[in-house]
Amino acid sequence: MTGQTTVQLRQVEKRFGDLVAVRSVNLDVAAGEFFSIIGPSGCGKTTTLRLIAGFERPTGGVIEIVGRDVTDLPPYRRPVNTVFQSYALFPHLDVVENVAFGLREARTPRGELQRRVKDAISLVQLDGRERARPKQLSGGQQQRVALARALVNRPEVLLLDEPLGALDLKLRKEMQTQLKDLQREVGITFVYVTHDQEEAFSMSDRVAVMHQGLLEQVGEPEEVYRRPATPFVADFVGLANRLPGRLHEAASDGRYAVDIDGVGRRLAGGPPGLVAGDRVTVVIRPEDLHLEAAGALRSGVLASTSSVPATVVDVAFLGAHRTVRLTAGSLGQLVAVGRGQVTVSQDDKVSLSWADDDAWVVPAAADS
Amino acid sequence: MIRRHPVVGAIALVVIGYLWIPILAVAVNSFNRSSLMVRWGGSTAHWYSLAFHDPNVRTGLITTLEIALGSTALSLVIAVSGSLWWRRAPARARAIYDALVYARIVLPEVVFATALFFLFLKAHFPLGILAIIIGHSVWNSAYAAVIIQARLTGLDPAIEEAAADLGATPWRVFRRVTFAALLPAIIASGLLTFTFSFDDVVTSYFLGGQSSSPLPLVLFGMIRFRITPEINAIGVMVMLFTVTLMGVAVAVFALMGSARRGRRGAFAEFYGQ
Repeated sequence: MTGQTTVQLRQVEKRFGDLVAVRSVNLDVAAGEFFSIIGPSGCGKTTTLRLIAGFERPTGGVIEIVGRDVTDLPPYRRPVNTVFQSYALFPHLDVVENVAFGLREARTPRGELQRRVKDAISLVQLDGRERARPKQLSGGQQQRVALARALVNRPEVLLLDEPLGALDLKLRKEMQTQLKDLQREVGITFVYVTHDQEEAFSMSDRVAVMHQGLLEQVGEPEEVYRRPATPFVADFVGLANRLPGRLHEAASDGRYAVDIDGVGRRLAGGPPGLVAGDRVTVVIRPEDLHLEAAGALRSGVLASTSSVPATVVDVAFLGAHRTVRLTAGSLGQLVAVGRGQVTVSQDDKVSLSWADDDAWVVPAAADS
Repeated sequence: MIRRHPVVGAIALVVIGYLWIPILAVAVNSFNRSSLMVRWGGSTAHWYSLAFHDPNVRTGLITTLEIALGSTALSLVIAVSGSLWWRRAPARARAIYDALVYARIVLPEVVFATALFFLFLKAHFPLGILAIIIGHSVWNSAYAAVIIQARLTGLDPAIEEAAADLGATPWRVFRRVTFAALLPAIIASGLLTFTFSFDDVVTSYFLGGQSSSPLPLVLFGMIRFRITPEINAIGVMVMLFTVTLMGVAVAVFALMGSARRGRRGAFAEFYGQ
């Protein structure tokens, strides 16, 4: 995974008039990596992809692909291919001719062209549909044609712009697995854009979280989830309970002591560089909140020192687990995912606790 | 299943008969030996021979073909380039463009014909074949634009980017994707404009000047003197010509289809085994 860099963005910026879509983005994507860019709509992720593809010219910065500066190259001279959200298949050409398009432009010899087209069609399991026009195919099949049409050219990088966005949930899940398998099989670098963090997490080696044109965090899915760099990342990636507080001091082991409003002083992990006195937010994931019926004997196994009283507002049964909504005084609404040890129901008084290792500090959002 | 009322069928038959019986009468009378056509005087092919060798009819037909081809070509150039601009134009500009297209279809032909007549006189532009071609293209380009825009609307705007992404230069993108995807609409609107131009009287009458007249005006001139079976014969030949043209178009489409099937055979060798 730590091979050479395939895609490199240096201080890349893109303005549309007054609007800054992408601001000074630095990015390195390693060869063979499955890299996702996630973020809400309008965050600049699709623009970033279009900059790499060459459909947009950056207003600043440098883009390199396999060590070559491609900033000023048009799309047809870049060693990348794209899978479009709308698929953008050629309606007047059948499956074979759609897939063969890039090879014909590259004047690939006939025999090799036929072999590669055939292989690509087999790879996406469309054998038997070679002569169908795009209109005669289902959404999932069209999506696979788009994939084959791009992969057949053996690009250095495959760019995918919300390729599963138009599919229904079940097919989406299937295609996620297939995409991941496919990427491993062909070994091509994937840069994948989606607004769906779950989708990105399930497939990616690394993800980048983008917000208002800025890269907020780049890292492995677990790292981004467990150790968000900013309040935005904490919120965007999965559910988060956010407890406001003030940083008391940095402990010697890299952790912080935080005075959580209405709770008291607790230890929590956090990014380096936070200063005593800063307003911060302590992030605790719903699955890390432990519930116990109020007044029950403490087992003593949990590392936490004390607990927070709360009242159950609502319990939602979701098959594999239960989601419990709670109110805890000045902390407001919290969410816990019940693992079944404690059966609680509406209006029950419970005590909440968490392990210090499961608490994470981020700087308080500027707007709060 | 909707049940059809017998009256509906009867009405349909009457209407179809109403439309076709005059044409049938023309066809029958074109073989009538009696030149006054008040009764059947026995059959003859004489009128066809007469029409075929009539120099006025011959030059009229040639003029008509020149005008129809010229107007079709000019209309397609205007419609295709206009539609490609329209596709990426701002909303307000598109609305203005659309209004101009529909105005050319809706406004009476005679209005454009007189307007152009005066314009050409003022500008000292000679009346004649070229003037007629320009006049026909006023409405023909609008019909072609409507058909081509309908096809363009159905095209994913990302297909050109996809082609560029797959290595096609801008010119190749146009040729292999934009133009190729539009081809059915271009052929369809070409046939339509050709036919409209072929039988036009009004615009040709205003803009023809003293030069040789297209066939519809030749016929118009002939019936002012007297109606003979020769005119019927010309009518039948024009009809046959138009039908043949459509037949050729259909055959071309069919050939294109079978050529594709033929290539499928070649690929089947690779995919079959």
